[in-house]
Amino acid sequence: MSQTCLDCVERSDRVFCDLEPAALGEFDQIKSLETYPRGTVLFREGQIARGIYLLCRGRVRLSVCSEDGRRLILRTATAGEVLGLSATLAGGLYEVTAEVMEPVQVAEIRRKDLLQFLHEHSDVCLQVVNLLSEDLHEAYDLVRAVGLRNTRQVHSHEARPH
Amino acid sequence: MLSPYGLDIIESCLTCKMRADRLFCDLPTAALQAFESVKYATAYPKGAVLFVEGQVPRGIFVLCKGRVKLSICASDGKTLILKIAEPGEVLGLSAAVSGKAYELTAETIDPCQVNFVKRDDFLRFLKEHSDACFKVAEQLSEKYNVACHEVRSLGLSHSAAEKLAKLLIEWSSKSGESLKQEPRLKLALTHEEIAQMIGTSRETVTRLFADLKKRQILQAKGSTLVIRNKAALRSLATTG
Repeated sequence: MSQTCLDCVERSDRVFCDLEPAALGEFDQIKSLETYPRGTVLFREGQIARGIYLLCRGRVRLSVCSEDGRRLILRTATAGEVLGLSATLAGGLYEVTAEVMEPVQVAEIRRKDLLQFLHEHSDVCLQVVNLLSEDLHEAYDLVRAVGLRNTRQVHSHEARPH
Repeated sequence: MLSPYGLDIIESCLTCKMRADRLFCDLPTAALQAFESVKYATAYPKGAVLFVEGQVPRGIFVLCKGRVKLSICASDGKTLILKIAEPGEVLGLSAAVSGKAYELTAETIDPCQVNFVKRDDFLRFLKEHSDACFKVAEQLSEKYNVACHEVRSLGLSHSAAEKLAKLLIEWSSKSGESLKQEPRLKLALTHEEIAQMIGTSRETVTRLFADLKKRQILQAKGSTLVIRNKAALRSLATTG
């Protein structure tokens, strides 16, 4: 896997990564590339959002938790997805917990850098709006799935302790 | 100008006094003028359906006055109320951006003023005004947060009692009453609607309210609820 976004061969297939050359060069400057082993928690729900994690390689499990430690798995994020986007933009708390399922490479961008980058590149901002819309569609599907079926079924099949 | 529903319609966004307090509306002058030229100010009575889940998106609806119930439906007709939208919110946003069908049904629960913008006009507006694009991103983020909260509440609560207690605590916190010794809540929804918010039956909600009153946790004064025992309600919200 490439160390720089500029010669990444996967870029054109990924919604967020397929940026214009000027924006891409700048994005490459503000991102920090990290690798994490299986089991790493990238961020936990309730933490103040520090920034976004662009998943270059690997898979990440997204889940929410109840006060008594039961967990509901929302979905598995795959390469090309941007994690922590809505919380970072809103300047709030991460809404979900993101845990590495297999070794990952992620490009991390701090909140301050991301906001400045989006202000300077309106085409990327539009891209982000599109991504958020997709995330929201999925979240509503999940609300429908969880809220409109037997609650007992959800508890027995999906919720499990940490 | 007075509309048939007793609403004082705000014809122009440029002179709207509420603008500064509302996340989406507080745009720079150029963007505001562009928005003004593509929006249609409309008034709706209580009970009007702005859009239905599954419809092809026509555009976005900026809620200027009144409240709108946002719900989703199962194939067997069971309804779940996701949120009561307040003035300043933009409805139908993610569907209009993505071009996918509306995910929710939006129905007015008060007479409402809504500024409608056609999808094509809105997408062009976003391309040309990055400030507005940023505000849309913020609105979408907030909606995502609400959806996650709903999933957590519906999927991980033990019982209807826990969900109802959580809802009452949330309402008292939103109305700024939570710090008071005995917070008061104006009950704006019917038992049926509350049931649809927490994914249970109307009968269960009525039974739970009766039980909370019997245990002196709640007291009803007309359509106002008084939380008499905050600690007991909080305990119910965490243990069910």
